[in-house]
Amino acid sequence: MTYKVTEEGDTSTVFLDGEIDMDKTEGAKEVIFPLIDAGKNVSLNLSNVQYMDSSGISVLIESHQKALEKGTKLIVKDVSKSVLKVIMMAKLEQILNLE
Amino acid sequence: MSTEVADTTNLSEKKDFLVRSSSLKDVRSFSREVFEKFKIDENLREELVLAIAEAAQNIVKHAYKDYPDTQDRMAVRISCTDKELEISFFDKGKPVEKSKVKHRAIDDVKPGGLGTFFIQEIMDSIKFKEGDKPWINNLVLTKKL
Repeated sequence: MTYKVTEEGDTSTVFLDGEIDMDKTEGAKEVIFPLIDAGKNVSLNLSNVQYMDSSGISVLIESHQKALEKGTKLIVKDVSKSVLKVIMMAKLEQILNLE
Repeated sequence: MSTEVADTTNLSEKKDFLVRSSSLKDVRSFSREVFEKFKIDENLREELVLAIAEAAQNIVKHAYKDYPDTQDRMAVRISCTDKELEISFFDKGKPVEKSKVKHRAIDDVKPGGLGTFFIQEIMDSIKFKEGDKPWINNLVLTKKL
């Protein structure tokens, strides 16, 4: 997994890349959590993530809940068809802010 | 090591992997290669890969919870007939307590507890068996084709 972060106002956009599984989740959290802790809204661009398992879904849930606690917002953007299928299987399409 | 047995009605491939989270990508690659070779419906493939990866992840996370540096290997066997796909997992970790294998309530949104739910959603049957020596656990997943 690789990532890139861009900043615009109070929103940080995190571009994740590759396949997100148990082996990659700590790396994803290390990128996302400090931004939320710093009070940023986080836009998570998943257009280049073609695979995500339950561990990756847990990162989305944890990030979403952390953002709610901090009074910021997590937006999950440009989700690939394969990852959307997993999000829907977890019945999270109404919970996460998908764009 | 990968082995292959093939005739006109049965196809089977097996491969073993070090029990590590870093092996999960290799488990997925193996599964994708086998599904392509077996000409499994493309719409089904990624779901099946997810189920296999979740089951392998459960071995790493639960059967070897206290042994993160183990040198043990787990094996995955994918067998296919015209009508059914059977995926077997073999490991030498802590014996599975079937009563403890359950997913969280799906409407209780919190991190974790989804892997088994995904497997149940994707596959038609899940059976935990005692593994024949040297294996301790043998999980068998099936899916009608």
